[in-house]
Amino acid sequence: MQVLFKVVRQYPNQQPRLQTYTLEVEPSSTILECLNQIKWEQDGTLAFRKNCRNTICGSCSMRINGRAALACKETIKQELSRQIPSTFLSGKLTDGEELNPILEINVAPMGNMPVIKDLIVDMQSFWQNLDTVDPYVSTAGRQVPEREFLQSPEDRAKLDQMGNCILCGACYSDCNALEVNPGFVGPHALAKAQRMLADTRDQATETRLSQYGQGTEGVWGCTRCYNCNAVCPMDVAPLDQISQIKSGVLQRQDAQASRSVRHRKVLVNLVQQGGWIDERKFGFKVVGNNFKDVQGVLGLIPLGLRMLQRGKFPSTFEASAGVSEVRSLINSVKMRESQSTETMSDPAPQNPVAPESDAPESNALVEGPDPSFGWNTYAERINGRFAMLGFIALLVLELVTHQDFFTWIGLR
Amino acid sequence: MVLVKSLYPEVPMTDIPALRYAYFPGCVAQGACRELHMATQAIAQTLGIELIELKKAACCGSGTFKEESQLLEDAVNARNIALAEQLKLPLLTHCSTCQGVIGHVDDRLKTAKADDPAYLNQVNGLLQEQKCSPYQGSTEVKHLLWALVGDYGLEMITRQVKQKLSGLKCAAFYGCYLLRAQSSLPFDNPVNPSSMENLFTALGATPVYYSGRTQCCGWPLSSYATEASFQMAGNRLEDAIAANADCIVTPCPLCHLNLDSRQPEVEKVTGKKLGLPILHLPQLVGLALGIDPGKLGIERHIVRTQPLLEKLGF
Repeated sequence: MQVLFKVVRQYPNQQPRLQTYTLEVEPSSTILECLNQIKWEQDGTLAFRKNCRNTICGSCSMRINGRAALACKETIKQELSRQIPSTFLSGKLTDGEELNPILEINVAPMGNMPVIKDLIVDMQSFWQNLDTVDPYVSTAGRQVPEREFLQSPEDRAKLDQMGNCILCGACYSDCNALEVNPGFVGPHALAKAQRMLADTRDQATETRLSQYGQGTEGVWGCTRCYNCNAVCPMDVAPLDQISQIKSGVLQRQDAQASRSVRHRKVLVNLVQQGGWIDERKFGFKVVGNNFKDVQGVLGLIPLGLRMLQRGKFPSTFEASAGVSEVRSLINSVKMRESQSTETMSDPAPQNPVAPESDAPESNALVEGPDPSFGWNTYAERINGRFAMLGFIALLVLELVTHQDFFTWIGLR
Repeated sequence: MVLVKSLYPEVPMTDIPALRYAYFPGCVAQGACRELHMATQAIAQTLGIELIELKKAACCGSGTFKEESQLLEDAVNARNIALAEQLKLPLLTHCSTCQGVIGHVDDRLKTAKADDPAYLNQVNGLLQEQKCSPYQGSTEVKHLLWALVGDYGLEMITRQVKQKLSGLKCAAFYGCYLLRAQSSLPFDNPVNPSSMENLFTALGATPVYYSGRTQCCGWPLSSYATEASFQMAGNRLEDAIAANADCIVTPCPLCHLNLDSRQPEVEKVTGKKLGLPILHLPQLVGLALGIDPGKLGIERHIVRTQPLLEKLGF
């Protein structure tokens, strides 16, 4: 069959250009075999990496028809079957209608890395970022045993999924977070990080979790675009591994540790309170940190005013009719989880989360101090909140009436 | 089966599919994007689709529950799905994130039913402790987009169009969870999807293609990595503007929040004037069905939609 290959060509310091090649191929041919055919029979200048031809070495990753993939794994037939027929109208193919294949394969270099030539990219940042997660089983403080470090087959099996990574760079290429945050270490590094955390022989769990949970270089830099899971040729599911690391961090840190941690804690807490998220509270609790982060609160004001002006600000909140069920369900899941963590041999959390009581308001991680009589932290906080509310009300009033407060009440 | 009135005498009543769904509203459509709830209700009424709201449902967690624990995400959403199962109806979402999260839980629990019954028993045990109905794996989780394109059918929608959206260049913004969270999509291609664009064509609008249409809007980072988040949104918006789009249409209210409500901040980060209106999917459908824009909440957006309505002659 005849196939049109559209390949992005690029020389160093030059603009990329599209070059087309017409090939006679078998449906079972791999994209790599087609590229070899181009190189050997039509154009020896086409540059791409290749080695094992067998989905083992991870050398031939490139963007094929819009997503990163291994050229040796994808075949012409698979690529054509992914095309949606152009006659698709009502969601179903009519009887007897056949796929109308578009005989066109688009090939481009991987993203998030500079091009050296054609389909070859400079993977320096990929390797450097892998190194930053300390991708070796720690041996610090360990006595050299008489026998080798033993691991049961069950414990070894826990590393299989992450261990299957062949470091091809596909996830790194299509990662949306890297596009805007060059400091993010990338899904490949975090999948490896989880491989280290899950290794029973590794003794650096606490150091690792604290490192991986710092800033937005580690797990909190991930934007959950799911591209890594979707493109990984080895089903490593880097996003799932990132979630596992986040879980470890969340078990050890409280809502004051960082805004990213607070975001998660507040969300679960608000669902416990209302079944649905009360969005009026969410921003103030996460970004404003219950008015503790004045800059955060001030940053929310333009958004709040904008939404008020358009009638978009949610002035009311209706809790789910099933809120009590949801609350106790979440509490019993948390109870179950904390029991299973205790029975496992994992090191004890530094700041274990106290078991939840039925009343979500008692969650000291998110809520403030208890009310009491006299001039204390609670009174100080309430006073601060009212002052801030008054200030916001003043701004809203002046915006709506186009008058200052004193003119509005008739004193001027 | 529900009775539906034919809007056009030439369309026989029997041709209009009688569709019923257990409607999962989600948090954002009850909060900062109430216009989405209004628009979904309005088009359902016009198309004769019956929505039974799941009043006892709970937030899906928007991908965050799983970061606490997979059991939390599975238990809360197994309960949500079981509420639809009790009604013997498919669960309808109108949010890409809700769809991806609840749909993925449904996939996982259906697999567990066959491969890991102990896990499903654990989830159902937790549900039954709270006197909730157990998850059975007997229904499906369906986004409004798929319901319109797959169940209702584009031909039938075309026949109901009162005001063709001729000349309106629409850029689809699918949302990550709609495309990639589930192991398989009913009929769309996650890398090169076409359901939104096919729907635009059915409504008389012109689809605009751009690379950002299948990528992330940056919303998950917006509370703590604001600059990166807004830069990402800016990249998508600039991409759509470069493709000459009149508007972006999204089936995800979270994408809508970052692309519309935060567009002034996005402009500050990118240093470029953008002003691209963002519509919720049912709003665009509603305009074509001739529903009053006020009933679709189109004036409730941060980026002004007036020029768009004028272009369409509203």
